[in-house]
Amino acid sequence: MNTFKLALRGLTRNRRRSLVTLLAIALGFSAITLFAGYTHNVYSGLTRQSIHGELLGHLTLSKRGMNKEGKLDPERYLLTASEAERITALLKDEPHVVLIAPRLALSGLISNGRASTIFVAEAIEPAAMERLQQDILTDAELESGMYDNVRKKLDPAHMEVVEVSEGLVDILHLSVGGQAAVLTNTLTGQANALDITVGHTFNTGNAGSNDKFAFFSLDLARNLLDAEGRADRLTILLDDERQTLATRDRLLTRLKIAGFDVEIQTWQELSSFYNQVHGMFDMIFGFIFLIVLTVVLMSVANSMGMTVVERTREIGTLRAIGLKRRGVVRLFTTESMLLTLIGCTAGLLITLGVRWGINAANVSYVPPNSVSPVPLLVDMDTGRTLFTFMLMGVVGTLAAYLPARRAAKKAIIDALGHV
Amino acid sequence: MSDNPIRSPILKLRNVRRRFLLGETTIDALHSVSLDIHAGEFLAVWGPSGSGKTTLMNIIGLIDSPTEGQVHFEEQDTRILADDALTEFRAQKIGFVFQNFNLVPVLSALENVMLPLQIQGAAEHTLRQRAATALVDVGLERFKNSLPDKLSGGQRQRVAIARALVVDPKLVIADEPTANLDSENSRMIIDLMREMNRARHVTFVFTTHDPRLLDHVDRKILLRDGSVESDEVMA
Repeated sequence: MNTFKLALRGLTRNRRRSLVTLLAIALGFSAITLFAGYTHNVYSGLTRQSIHGELLGHLTLSKRGMNKEGKLDPERYLLTASEAERITALLKDEPHVVLIAPRLALSGLISNGRASTIFVAEAIEPAAMERLQQDILTDAELESGMYDNVRKKLDPAHMEVVEVSEGLVDILHLSVGGQAAVLTNTLTGQANALDITVGHTFNTGNAGSNDKFAFFSLDLARNLLDAEGRADRLTILLDDERQTLATRDRLLTRLKIAGFDVEIQTWQELSSFYNQVHGMFDMIFGFIFLIVLTVVLMSVANSMGMTVVERTREIGTLRAIGLKRRGVVRLFTTESMLLTLIGCTAGLLITLGVRWGINAANVSYVPPNSVSPVPLLVDMDTGRTLFTFMLMGVVGTLAAYLPARRAAKKAIIDALGHV
Repeated sequence: MSDNPIRSPILKLRNVRRRFLLGETTIDALHSVSLDIHAGEFLAVWGPSGSGKTTLMNIIGLIDSPTEGQVHFEEQDTRILADDALTEFRAQKIGFVFQNFNLVPVLSALENVMLPLQIQGAAEHTLRQRAATALVDVGLERFKNSLPDKLSGGQRQRVAIARALVVDPKLVIADEPTANLDSENSRMIIDLMREMNRARHVTFVFTTHDPRLLDHVDRKILLRDGSVESDEVMA
């Protein structure tokens, strides 16, 4: 029997009911895929922000124990100039590795001559900073014009010129070109102060750090810490984010063989914000997905249940003229599958339309714990869209199974006598 | 009967009893009915409402099983057939015409007639031709693309007859095929069935409560209170 054709025609019998069910499926599918697209955009933005914006790179190499004990005993856990050079030489020919940048973290007091406050700084070579930020923006973000000021820059010719966060500049009533002094402890605990010039200001995007953060050139930091040639870690940039874990494993093996007792962390392990946001959105997505799936299941089951009851006499007729029980089940599950797949296809079209509208509308919002707006953009999350399509198709098909099976089991004479 | 040679029985009912349980009440719809139906017969089962006509037709059509007794179709004991085998058996050997036509409303006349062939898995290129021929046989070739709700009652029943005959069945069961038709259409439907019976030598068994439709049958069985009151072979 041409089940497909008969099932398709069956959907046209009670058009209003089919349309309502189809609409429930379409809107549910669209809600899921739009949210998936939004989170995909957020994940992708956070990934770029972590790797390129926060200058984490893909991998961070440090001496084993640096993260736990390094703050209290920096002298012991900092890489020596010789170690940093040997490791860099060893890894520079690794596939996918495009940059190995020595880094130092430091903190202390910053003063405008009248008032002082604490600062936390990250030190990096100016050229490495520029390279790390190369892929920070997407084309859409560049076009939006909202991130024109996002790239941080250090002056390779003048190590005293630093990047200072906007909040810190405000507190100290500084401005670009203004002078300040920074005071830190050297590795041996001696006080050391140097003059700096505010070369550029930036927004950390986080209210908690925007009033204390700064970027120094590595030379300045080494002078302040009296740590010539040393680094607390090496930031490694790859040409492909998907190679992060594999490269980490390979590097660790090579370094172990070469006699280095080091640890390497991925950007995901270091970016707690990324992990928190990812975890939260995954939970919300799962919750929405479950609700929508339940709505679809109930809608289809209800619709098919009514359809089966209405067509009981027809089922009796088909059984009488030779359709087997499994044929009846196949007929109604096919009808349900078609309804679900048409609904999902309609949902996909809605998603594409709404996505286009949102992306074209240049909507922005300020995320929690952020000080600057970000554009609201929706990606096409192909993986989760396909997954939703298939899962809803299966659930929609199964929703008709029970009522269809019940109908198929009904005695033919009872079905024929159904009013 | 001279132009419709009667052959050996295609269907044998022996001591068939059918009992229904309605709540706590037991209803005996058929009491120990035994009869033979021969190939090529044009047979009417008649009697008042509630006499057991439909129950008997259901059992003859193998869509219901007797509570007691035996039903043999072409020497096959139908009691031993599992549901799938019985369904296949029915699909190949029995055609059905229902009182309410029971056409699929979203399929055209041609598609309705194609349905039993499609269920049997007939090849696509032959089933359309066979269904079209069946519609020609019942005089509805002009209406092959019409949906059932665009056809009159008589036309719908003719489509139902074409659907019943398209699989070349041994037996056609028609339960009150004229109950929803006016007298003129009723006569036309009975005449059409008779014509098909003669032309194709297909056995027809139909029920009616209208004695005026019994003029041209080979045999008429009067059923009353679930028992055969008379079984009359016409001269």
